[in-house]
Amino acid sequence: MGKNYLLARSNLRKAKGQTVAIIVLMFLAALMLNLWLMLSLDYRQNFDRCHDRLHAEHVTLAVDGDSDEIAGFLEDTLEADERTADYFLDSVMHMVGIFEYNGGNINSEFIFMEKEAALSRPVGKCEIVEEGSCTSGVYMPVLYQSDEIAVGRTIELSIGNQKMSYTVCGFFNSVMTGSHNCGMCGILLTKDCYRELQEAGCAPESTLCSVRLDDRTESEDYDAMLKEAVSSRYPAARTTSNTYDLVSRSRYISQMICSGIMSAMAFLILLIALVVIASNIINYIQENMKNLGALKAVGYTSRQLVSSLLMQFTGVSLLVALVGSGFSYALFPYINGMMVSQTGIPYKVRFLPVPFVLTLAVLGGAVSVVVWSASRRIGRVEPIVALRQGIQTHTFKRNHVPLEKTRVPLNPALALKTTLSGMKHNVTICITMLVLSLVAVFSGVMIENMIADMTPFLNMIVGETADSAINVEAEVEEDFLSAMQDDSRVEKVYLYHSVQLLHAGGDVLMATMADDFTKVNNQDVIIEGRFPKYDNEMAIAAKYAAEKKLNVGDEIKLTADGKEDGYLISGFVQITNNLGKDCLLTREGYERLGELQNASYYLNLADGTDIDAFNAKIEERYKDKVNATINIDATINGSVSVYVLLMKMIVAAVLVLSVLVITFVLYLLVRTIVGNKKQEYGILKALGFTTGQLIWQTALSFMPAVVISTIVGVTVCSFIINPLSVLFLKDLGIVKCTFRVPVGYNILAVAGMILVSFGIVCVLSLRIKKITPRALLAGE
Amino acid sequence: MKKILLKTENLSKSFSSGGNLQHVLKNIDLELYQGDFTVIMGASGAGKSTLLYALSGMDTPSLGTITFGDQVISGMSQDELAVFRRDHCGFVFQQIYLIDGMSVMDNVLSAGLLVSRDRKGVLAKAKELFEAVDIPEETQKKFPTQISGGEAQRAGMVRALINSPEILFADEPTGALNSRTGLDVLDTLTRFNEMGQSIVMVTHDMRSARRGSRILYLKDGMILGECDLGRYPHGNAKPDDGERQEKLASFLAEMGW
Repeated sequence: MGKNYLLARSNLRKAKGQTVAIIVLMFLAALMLNLWLMLSLDYRQNFDRCHDRLHAEHVTLAVDGDSDEIAGFLEDTLEADERTADYFLDSVMHMVGIFEYNGGNINSEFIFMEKEAALSRPVGKCEIVEEGSCTSGVYMPVLYQSDEIAVGRTIELSIGNQKMSYTVCGFFNSVMTGSHNCGMCGILLTKDCYRELQEAGCAPESTLCSVRLDDRTESEDYDAMLKEAVSSRYPAARTTSNTYDLVSRSRYISQMICSGIMSAMAFLILLIALVVIASNIINYIQENMKNLGALKAVGYTSRQLVSSLLMQFTGVSLLVALVGSGFSYALFPYINGMMVSQTGIPYKVRFLPVPFVLTLAVLGGAVSVVVWSASRRIGRVEPIVALRQGIQTHTFKRNHVPLEKTRVPLNPALALKTTLSGMKHNVTICITMLVLSLVAVFSGVMIENMIADMTPFLNMIVGETADSAINVEAEVEEDFLSAMQDDSRVEKVYLYHSVQLLHAGGDVLMATMADDFTKVNNQDVIIEGRFPKYDNEMAIAAKYAAEKKLNVGDEIKLTADGKEDGYLISGFVQITNNLGKDCLLTREGYERLGELQNASYYLNLADGTDIDAFNAKIEERYKDKVNATINIDATINGSVSVYVLLMKMIVAAVLVLSVLVITFVLYLLVRTIVGNKKQEYGILKALGFTTGQLIWQTALSFMPAVVISTIVGVTVCSFIINPLSVLFLKDLGIVKCTFRVPVGYNILAVAGMILVSFGIVCVLSLRIKKITPRALLAGE
Repeated sequence: MKKILLKTENLSKSFSSGGNLQHVLKNIDLELYQGDFTVIMGASGAGKSTLLYALSGMDTPSLGTITFGDQVISGMSQDELAVFRRDHCGFVFQQIYLIDGMSVMDNVLSAGLLVSRDRKGVLAKAKELFEAVDIPEETQKKFPTQISGGEAQRAGMVRALINSPEILFADEPTGALNSRTGLDVLDTLTRFNEMGQSIVMVTHDMRSARRGSRILYLKDGMILGECDLGRYPHGNAKPDDGERQEKLASFLAEMGW
């Protein structure tokens, strides 16, 4: 042990630069790995901890009307189902509403609850996380805590067709009703404000039913049962619901994306670090063949020599992993802050032993295996052979690019010789550049589809977008349509209305209907087959179809309002509104099951039209016959900006990491090359080669591997980036990504990566300047 | 009147070692002439190699000037010196210093193509020189580690001569060779000198020194004296010239050798 330690220490002293570079790579790998493990092993579990702490429900249903009869019916239904563990019924108000957030609008089904009642609910309790001194106003979900929405500030809420103004008294946490991302969003009001809203009459009285189940995996089925029962008994009642399954997934979309990217980055950096370590050990053995021979000659065994390398690399890696994991705790609060703006569930950063131990184990294990594999060749070193110049390392089988035959100019020809005689370096460069190509293509795709122009992202994630969405009562539908057709500001108006249906024997589906699907703006939602044309056709979410093993041409039964009918699947769609439990129907198709009480229309307005003013005019004209008007642009901005911000930060982080990784990998390679060729450079300088020529040769020698792997990497990654993105987004219901791959950006990325690599190698090769022919002759 | 090829004035070189300044060359004034086979001799540590490095532009002097033709090389930058070396000088090293990763032929061509873009011309010259030093074609294709020391040093001479240098510097060219191969190398140097090649050679070996036409003796960084031996007899004419041997021995004895 003592001897091994001394050997390891001596190796470390001799290779300080190399050790620093490996330390940086391992640090980054440990940092990313620990962050990923914390995000995936604990962050999401925080939802369940919070769920348990607040004794939260697994199914929440809001039904318009708060009569004893409805409550009685609900109680009977819940009691009759043996899956019910506990439940609570409460009187609330329930209405579609809008408020400004993050430079856009939040549009959701709001559940207005009296604060004290909400805090004392036996099932589905809310908790206050921040509170000011004001006694009259609203408490908002913690998700919306921001500069604009802060304690003491005023918030404008559009509820139905009325605008209400409240002081923000504080923020609360609610597992099932704390985010607009999952169907319904709770708002707590102080007693006086609650009474005032009741008197305003803009939000109907409703019954909020919160149910805990024995088995939470039953939440979707239970929700379907409950809604079916309610719609059978009260066909005209407006209902909104949430399930544990839907909420737990939809509140952790950013965590899912972020941890997916973190894991990819962690393993890619680890891969590069391992390749670099293996390459360094092989070089170490070559460079130190004589020393190894001498050590063996004086009695060191191969096992001791391998152990010293194991101790050196594994020891350094474990120490660095320790520091990297520790540093991840300094970074985690920032990531948490970013995440909370999407999850809306407070998370307290604390030491997590399992991710910590796993990080150390994975890094230590991987490094040990690689060091052991790469250093086994020490066993084949025979002392006498090694002492004689280490000739095993100088078996030149081929004279690459013979100068008497080649037409390549001298400097590139000498560079090519270096390239072809250093295949291990080329492999390291290729792996690094392939990994970085993937990162570059991913960044380009995100910039193109999310940051510069989010239309492709919206088309895929949001589904349909237009300028305005207006929900009107069925009785004014005809007049509304006629008015829209006469209005010169309206370029297109089409039905795009969503309701919930039950797939018989399956799950609750969000059904979206249109009069004519050729009118919808986003035609790309169909990924196989076609939109439904006839009343007996439907298109179904591809993710759901795959889960239920449904094919185009199959017939499935849908039920609503107590009726059931069969529909042929005309195609597969990719809509993520309901996390992949969606379907499309024609209006006639839906009307085989039930009548629409109200209808949502999407409008494309002429450029320059003030959407809010347009919507206000509609509200003014149709008064209470308009249930909701939505400025879709503003709503999208409000909802999507958090993802855009998250993606900007991820893209910036991966680009910075890429530059760091490429710099350190090239540093190690240049250092090795310059070290190995020190004598050769001295000879060439003595013969009259200038420092510039030698730097040029060195940089050029890297270029074949850099250029080929970058071009191949970026080209291949351009083709596989969409299938790869599906892996990160599959939980959203995405089965086919259709992100635009920016060819121009990719060409620039290839050029950039090659030029940056060339530049880095040139700068790092400046150490050649220190090599003098005199030092060579003096034997230095 | 001989043409001056290289001239030094007050050439000094000092090294700092452990805070102490060590003066290795002290105010050397020297002229080297075209066509001469100049041999620099002296005891170990006299400054022979340092003088050779300074004269050849491998190193820069601390003080004084070195002039090559009408070019002052002592003030040149490292890159200017590199260009000077490639254009005017050839080098033969004690350790030979062929590049292991290149074939013997490529070692020579890498130096030749550095100066001339006439690939065919350089190749023809290389083949001519290889023939002159008796290195067959199959040896030219081998790597330096696959040939003998004598072959390697003769290949080193081909590399040194490929650009027809005005002056060839040789630093103990037989130092790493056995006596038989060392003799071959000396014969080759002598032959090229007979053909007009100016040579400056550092050695501490009397057998090698005898090939020189002019012997400089260096002691404590200064030229203590010089001896004109005249051109070495060539062909069958008395290669072991006793008179020449005696003259050199007497000069060295006088210098305190």
